Amino acid sequence: MSAANILFYIMSFIALASAGYVAVSKNLVRSVFIFFVTLFALAGLYVLALADFVAVTQIVVYVGGILVLILFAFMLSGRETLNVLQHPDRSVWKITNLPALLIVALLFIVLINVILKTDADHLGWISDSIKTKNYITNSGDMTGNIGVNLMTRYLLPFEIISILLMMALVGAAHLSRKESVE
Amino acid sequence: MISLTNYLVVSAILFCIGLYIVLVKRNAIQILIGIEMMLNAAILNLVAFGKFDRHNNGGQMFALFAIVLAAATTAVALAIVLNVYRRYKTIDPDKVDQLKD
Amino acid sequence: MAYHALAAVLLPLLAFVINCFIKGKAAGWVSTIAILLGSVVSIIVFNHTFNTNTIHVSRLWFTIGDTQVYAGILLNNLSILMLLLVNLIALPVHIFSMAYMGHDQRYGRYFTCLSLFCFSMLALVVVDNMVLFYAFWELVGFSSYLLIGFWYKKEKAIQANKKAFIMNRIGDIGLLIAILLLYAQYHTFDLIKLFGQGGLVSQSFIKNGMWIATGASIPAVWQYIACGGIFLAVCAKSAQFPLHTWLPDAMEGPTSVSALIHAATMVAAGIFLLGRVYPMFNTAELDALAFIGCFTAFMAATIALTQNDLKRVLAFSTISQLGFMVMAMGINAYASSLFHLVTHAFFKCLLFLVAGVVIHEMQHVKDENQLDIDPQNILYMGGLRKKMPLTFIAAIIGGAALVGLPLTSGYLSKDGILIQAFEWSDTKSVGYKIVPIMMLITSWLTAFYVARLIFKVFFGRLRVLDVKPVVLCHISDGGWQYRVPLILLSLCCLFPVFSLNPLLYEQSWLFKAFTTPDHLERMNIYHTIIPAGLNILSVAVIYYAYAVYIQERKMLPFAQNNWVFDFSYNQWYFNKAYHTLFVKPVLALGEGLFWFDRKVIDGFIQLLQNILLWLSKVADVMDRYVIDGFLHLLTAIVQYIGNFVRSFQTGRVQYYLLSMLAVIVAWFIFKTLI
Repeated sequence: MSAANILFYIMSFIALASAGYVAVSKNLVRSVFIFFVTLFALAGLYVLALADFVAVTQIVVYVGGILVLILFAFMLSGRETLNVLQHPDRSVWKITNLPALLIVALLFIVLINVILKTDADHLGWISDSIKTKNYITNSGDMTGNIGVNLMTRYLLPFEIISILLMMALVGAAHLSRKESVE
Repeated sequence: MISLTNYLVVSAILFCIGLYIVLVKRNAIQILIGIEMMLNAAILNLVAFGKFDRHNNGGQMFALFAIVLAAATTAVALAIVLNVYRRYKTIDPDKVDQLKD
Repeated sequence: MAYHALAAVLLPLLAFVINCFIKGKAAGWVSTIAILLGSVVSIIVFNHTFNTNTIHVSRLWFTIGDTQVYAGILLNNLSILMLLLVNLIALPVHIFSMAYMGHDQRYGRYFTCLSLFCFSMLALVVVDNMVLFYAFWELVGFSSYLLIGFWYKKEKAIQANKKAFIMNRIGDIGLLIAILLLYAQYHTFDLIKLFGQGGLVSQSFIKNGMWIATGASIPAVWQYIACGGIFLAVCAKSAQFPLHTWLPDAMEGPTSVSALIHAATMVAAGIFLLGRVYPMFNTAELDALAFIGCFTAFMAATIALTQNDLKRVLAFSTISQLGFMVMAMGINAYASSLFHLVTHAFFKCLLFLVAGVVIHEMQHVKDENQLDIDPQNILYMGGLRKKMPLTFIAAIIGGAALVGLPLTSGYLSKDGILIQAFEWSDTKSVGYKIVPIMMLITSWLTAFYVARLIFKVFFGRLRVLDVKPVVLCHISDGGWQYRVPLILLSLCCLFPVFSLNPLLYEQSWLFKAFTTPDHLERMNIYHTIIPAGLNILSVAVIYYAYAVYIQERKMLPFAQNNWVFDFSYNQWYFNKAYHTLFVKPVLALGEGLFWFDRKVIDGFIQLLQNILLWLSKVADVMDRYVIDGFLHLLTAIVQYIGNFVRSFQTGRVQYYLLSMLAVIVAWFIFKTLI
């Protein structure tokens, strides 16, 4: 039981617990803020998976971008929206939620079944990767390697994703402007 | 050394919670949160497997792209939610059912 | 000269065409001028051609197979005479009509039809082949039909023209059969080739029951059928027994039409036909002709004795005189027959025009005093001699000619026929004597009814006064349109027109033109006795009539209500007999067929219809409950499924997602378990 393993379990517990709270919370604003916690915990898991650059990006983009965007959306919608949203009229454990719960549970069982059958640690390509020392160790810095790969091997997807991002932002701006023309 | 199976199990639980949120919540923004949660579960898998690709960094790259795409979808989705609210004065997806026959 | 004749024929046609396009009073002048020019031209033709050679001009008309049919004009003495006669009769009638029809609304149409008739009649007499002859024969019948029914609003006129037309059709069929048989035997339609001097007909003969011509021989019965067809045509057109009944009814037409068509010209077409085809008859057939003519003459004369309708008396007199002509043909008195045709045309036309004037004036009296009388009934007339002297004189002349008194044309022609009848009977057995004797009696009967007619109309007192004591009488001879024709025709009825010797018919130029010289001698006693005896007795009969009708002595041999009178008055019951024998069976047959059609055929169809209806009802039930039921079931199932499926489409996104997931999970579980 190394320190990494203990950290992993702690992080996992925080992530899953906060996610569960998001799921059962009646309060919208509170659930949004708890979702921050989940994201932070996930960023920690990324670090534990030796992907520090992704973890940083996760925090910058999600916490700095997306959640701020959601909060702005609340504020732009006006007070009455928040009032309505703050008084959800049904409880989480209502009988109507039962089919959803059932389906999700079944899916979960299926997924676990698949995961356990797969035995991911002994897959062919992972074994090859370990033999050829092609795995990331916690000693080196991968950021430089990521930068080189982005500008060489993944240049085309990178450019496409930037154009897509721009289009999405322009589209979002267009959609959300006030249609004063009508 | 953390087993890959652990990552996968955490990811599966997170995915199911996200899915449950999507199915149950009567609020478009909360559904959006659920979607983000499912996306994060997928990203977690990518990152976990990415550990075994040192040269090409395929897993981490796709994790990055996925995060960027999530940002883009969120922006568009929020814009749509705003429009829906503007038109129907609600963001409960059950009440937006005009495509019904 | 052929072109002159052609012009005379075509002038009325031109008038007809012009009258088709113009309206108003001009029509009368157009027609009259056409006839006047035609008369002048035909007089020229007559002067140049009569008693000289025959003129025959023809052009190829059409070719069928090997047969070439020529159309052309044949001018011999017969056709030239008829050409002149028709024109000369038509001229005064046209002049008369201009006044007589002057107030009729359909004045223009009257003259249009009249011109059509004149054209047809003139063409009929000059054409040179049987096909054209038949065509114009029909056209004459048709224009006669138009004119009889001219007052088409009168029911009786409609009946009369139908009757005339149908009876003429019977004759037409006979003529058609005869023409076709002649063509079958001789392979030509040409009149010259058939009936000319030494023509095909004169060369053919009957031997051993075969009718033999050059290059062909068929059973003799066909020859009799051909002659029978000709007889039938003559009987229909010239109103001989048994097809005579249409002529009295045809008097429903305008009187001027009666004068032209039903007294002088059209009815003479039958005699003309006999003249054209004369060479084809053998002795037995001629005898039959003689008996037909004789019987018709006698019968019509007896009927004329009792008729009260002015025009009807004249109509029966016409039938009687036509009987004389037919009989004359039958007894080989070809020339006399044609001579009588000409003289009869003039005096009968004159008498009809007189009747027209009288009727016209009586109509005036009727209209002025609003009397309910028949203007043609002689029982209402009387004493008109002082009011219309010119008409009276014309009537006397016409009547005398009809009776055959000396100094008139009628004397010349009629006595000629009688004399030759006696001569003819001498060559036969005793039984044939009946023909001349009946003709003699007919002549005396003629004298009686003519006298009765004239006495009733012109002598005594006006019997209209019996109906209404005080009447306005503006009766006169009428205008120049009435006077000129009467004078013209009266002159033509006198002997100098035909013969310089008033007593001897043999001296007549017309008679000479048609006969061989040996007939011209006064061979035997008949030539003296018969005219003398006939006329003396005629005068006696006239005096007797005078005694009966003017002095009103009760000298009638029988009362006016016994069966003899009724027999005569009802025209020997021919109309009733025909009605019983032909019309009623035909009507009964028609009704029977109608009944058969209505009950049996319609019933059968009704039955079929009912069966079909029943079948269709069954099909309807099948369709409605079985087939439609099945379809409705299908649609109901589809609808139910549709509604069931639709209930899933709630429009709720999360619900869809849930369903989707359920399927995926189910799939996974399924795969895992199996």
